[in-house]
Amino acid sequence: MRGLTREYVLQRFLMYLLTIWLGSTLIFVIPRLAPGDPISEMVGRLSLDAGYIENADKLIESWKARFGLDAPIHVQYFRYWGNVFRLNFGYSLSHFPTEAWTMVSDALPWSLGLLTVATVLSFSIGVTIGSLMGWRRTPRWLQLILPGSLTFTAIPYFMFGIMLIYLVAFELDWLPATGAYSRRVDPGWNLPFIKNVLTHAILPVVSIVLTSMGGWALGMRGLMISVNNEDYFLLAQVKGLSPTRIFFRYGVRNAILPALTALALGLGGLISGSILVEFIFAYPGTGYTLYQAIISQDYTVTQAIANLIILVTATSVFLLDLLYPFIDPRITYKRNMR
Amino acid sequence: MTVGQQTVDETTSPARGWGLNTWDSPWLNFKFLLGVAIVGLILLFGLLGPLFWDTDLAYTGAGPLNKPPVWQEGGLPEHPLGTESNGRDMLAQLILATPSSLKVGFLAAIIGMGIGMVLGSVAGYVGGWWDHVIRTLSDSAVTIPALVVLVVIASYVQMTDTTAMALILAAFAWPGPTRLVRSQILTLRERSYVRMAHLSGAPALEIMFVEMLPNMLPWLAASLTGGISVAILGATGLEVLGLGPTRVPSLGLIINQATTNAALVRGLVWWWLPPIIILMVIFVGFFLMTIGLDEIANPRIRQFSSTRRERAAAGELPAVEHAELGGGEEEDAALEVDDLHVHYFTPRGEVIAANGVDFSVRKGEILGLVGESGCGKTTVAMAILQVVQPPGRIVQGAVRIEDRDLVSLSGRDLREVRWRDLALVPQGAMNSLNPVTPIREQMADAILAHENVGRLELEARILGLLNDVGLPERVIDMYPHELSGGMKQRVCIAMAIALNPQVIIADEPTSALDVVVQRVVAQTLLEVKERLGVSMVMIGHDMGLQAQLVDRIAVMYAGNLVEVAPVESAFSEPLHPYTQLLIESIPSIKERKPLNVTEGLTHDLRNPPPGCIFQFRCQHVEQICRERRPELVEREDDHLVACWLYEPERQSMIELEEA
Ligand code: SF4
Repeated sequence: MRGLTREYVLQRFLMYLLTIWLGSTLIFVIPRLAPGDPISEMVGRLSLDAGYIENADKLIESWKARFGLDAPIHVQYFRYWGNVFRLNFGYSLSHFPTEAWTMVSDALPWSLGLLTVATVLSFSIGVTIGSLMGWRRTPRWLQLILPGSLTFTAIPYFMFGIMLIYLVAFELDWLPATGAYSRRVDPGWNLPFIKNVLTHAILPVVSIVLTSMGGWALGMRGLMISVNNEDYFLLAQVKGLSPTRIFFRYGVRNAILPALTALALGLGGLISGSILVEFIFAYPGTGYTLYQAIISQDYTVTQAIANLIILVTATSVFLLDLLYPFIDPRITYKRNMR
Repeated sequence: MTVGQQTVDETTSPARGWGLNTWDSPWLNFKFLLGVAIVGLILLFGLLGPLFWDTDLAYTGAGPLNKPPVWQEGGLPEHPLGTESNGRDMLAQLILATPSSLKVGFLAAIIGMGIGMVLGSVAGYVGGWWDHVIRTLSDSAVTIPALVVLVVIASYVQMTDTTAMALILAAFAWPGPTRLVRSQILTLRERSYVRMAHLSGAPALEIMFVEMLPNMLPWLAASLTGGISVAILGATGLEVLGLGPTRVPSLGLIINQATTNAALVRGLVWWWLPPIIILMVIFVGFFLMTIGLDEIANPRIRQFSSTRRERAAAGELPAVEHAELGGGEEEDAALEVDDLHVHYFTPRGEVIAANGVDFSVRKGEILGLVGESGCGKTTVAMAILQVVQPPGRIVQGAVRIEDRDLVSLSGRDLREVRWRDLALVPQGAMNSLNPVTPIREQMADAILAHENVGRLELEARILGLLNDVGLPERVIDMYPHELSGGMKQRVCIAMAIALNPQVIIADEPTSALDVVVQRVVAQTLLEVKERLGVSMVMIGHDMGLQAQLVDRIAVMYAGNLVEVAPVESAFSEPLHPYTQLLIESIPSIKERKPLNVTEGLTHDLRNPPPGCIFQFRCQHVEQICRERRPELVEREDDHLVACWLYEPERQSMIELEEA
């Protein structure tokens, strides 16, 4: 029994569904627990803007019917689920008649791109640093330099981002401060645009990478130190293997497994943090769109984005789970693994 | 192979030794204390600030607009840190905002920790269905991006005060502690001191609080400090987005107002920078506390960094006093261990794990090295193999194979000798095989590290070796977890003979196996030895097994060899009182039983008494035994013993004293 067994896939898939269900249900329940309802508030806002709206009561009723808010709660819940499955979240309230889903799917690629690059970079750099820090044979000069890379570890991404904007964008004027690309370039697959996008991504990526790699490094260092004490690590030394082989095949190869688990568990936190980074850099991803939707009380877009982020996180965790048995041959045996 | 840890008594709870008020307490961790000091200072700033500064200045219109701090041009002494676009005094704002940000963090993390401890204990202790549900829930909750849900909540629930926010944050702070407490309980449950408490009938709650909680404390504390900074981050995040309480001043709210008023572009550095600096100092403080606590909880990390420091201080190579070269006494020795001293440098003193151990293994012979656990026999094995783990170190002595002293070798020279001349069959092969690579690779890398072999020849050789130890060919492509304990041990034997070494160290090769498998493995070892004529050091505590396998036996007690003799005379005529005790404890040679000598006082290994090391447990102890240490000398043909009983001198000493 190796690799993906049916039992394992099924178990992970149920976990995947449970996560989505939990998250989405929270998103459904919270607004309904809150005092007041979004439609009345919206109409109230409109009437504030316009001075007065005729037949406001009727308007509210008709909008409620339109959004299905007049049905009993359990009917609403099932309808909600139908919509989540069809990715149908209705129209944006603030950008009517744009569909909520369109707004969300416009934002998604920016976030996915930014986060994937930042996560892959910070994880791989952090793991490399941590492995070297937790290895007895790392050259002394390296051992002295490496802890320096932990300098920014304790600082939240977005605070570091603010300082980077101030220093690099405003004071030094080296890189653009906000947005994903400049207005002056044509979006599309042309070189100036791609270059422009990349320069805009540098600061957000750097602020995530520099502040989060230290965490991976510290974790990996601890794991390497534990592996250092394992019997198989000792036997590898006694076998007279070369230090590099022991480091990679016996050390890193084993220590990285819990680090990958931590990555899967930490994705939620990473994505949380990126909302603030997008806000600070006015980066047009899901986090920034979520912020704008909430500020403009755009109920449908908020729901769509929150659901999407939960879906994407859960899917990434699920994919990592599916990858895991190929790296750790024991996984299908260890039921209590995670 | 519990290298270096044999001296730690597993049956007493380690927390018992952690005096909270002694100077060598692990809580006196520099990083932890520095973190406490930093957070304490920030807290003092927030708490004592109102006594020195008028906090009413924190409200709109209290002063002129956009004044820089006093040290810049245009700064006013009545607003030392400047004012922002609403005329609010920055210093007053910071004084009010700091404690409220800290309060949210503490409150949320403590509530989360409380929930986590209850759920985690239920999951770990009750187990079964409860465990399943709690684990599934916390695993899935932990992957939901908390801030997304928080933002959605905050957009509907207008949070008026910090307590409401702390409660909402706590809803996301429980999965971490839950997972931690559960896994800690599952681990601790298996420790012998907890099992002993169970057997003695202590109630579950008492065990939880007396035996488990103190041992979990550093972990819980690390999780709490980590949780506090995550909660502060969550709260600050909401505030920065403008979704936190808007009437209560908070550090995040200041940042929000600064960014929405374009303070960055307008160059109002004194508006956005101070709250960020305070927050960063807070985060650095909690971060230091967390990593300090990690080191407290996980002594290996501490050991790792301290040995590195020690090494750096003492120069790269430890100073070893080499025994005189060419001092080989026996012509036909395959392995000579010469006056070996191994010390463990623990924070509470030097533990002498091997004290002048001196023996040799003749060609084609099996030497048994026996003694109770903690006597230093595994340390001797590790010292022979040159893998004594820090904080242990060979401080003196030589280990010679073919006149080459392994202690003086290092780097490539040492690697060449390893496995080609000196192989190891590890203790209970359960954890000695790399869990993530197939057997083929693990056997291949031992061979390839020393010889150039083609792919086909390599495979044939591995299959041949597996065959030699009676394993089927398909084992070659299996992973360690797919093999039984006995099979793993035979893989290890096959691996040990791969290069036809001169000497094999077998470290309790059968200890973790059940009786039937023990016989098979022991049989395999004997066959291999007969066929290859290899010399072996067989380490063990099972006298019965030793009697059947070894040619000569060396008895070790508290780091010292006390008797070395051919197996027949050792069993028929044991000289040392300790050897006699060992042999008496086997009911019959046929019926093997593990050594069971627990009664009697042992001395503190850090501080051995003058005289004989066995004096506290010896029935024949005399005054001379307390004063002078007996040497290991040959009393009969090839039979060495270290005991005054066989010293004619002793009689005269006793007489002298009586006179
Ligand atoms: S030297 Fe004395 S105390 Fe030591 S074993 Fe012999 S008789 Fe006992």
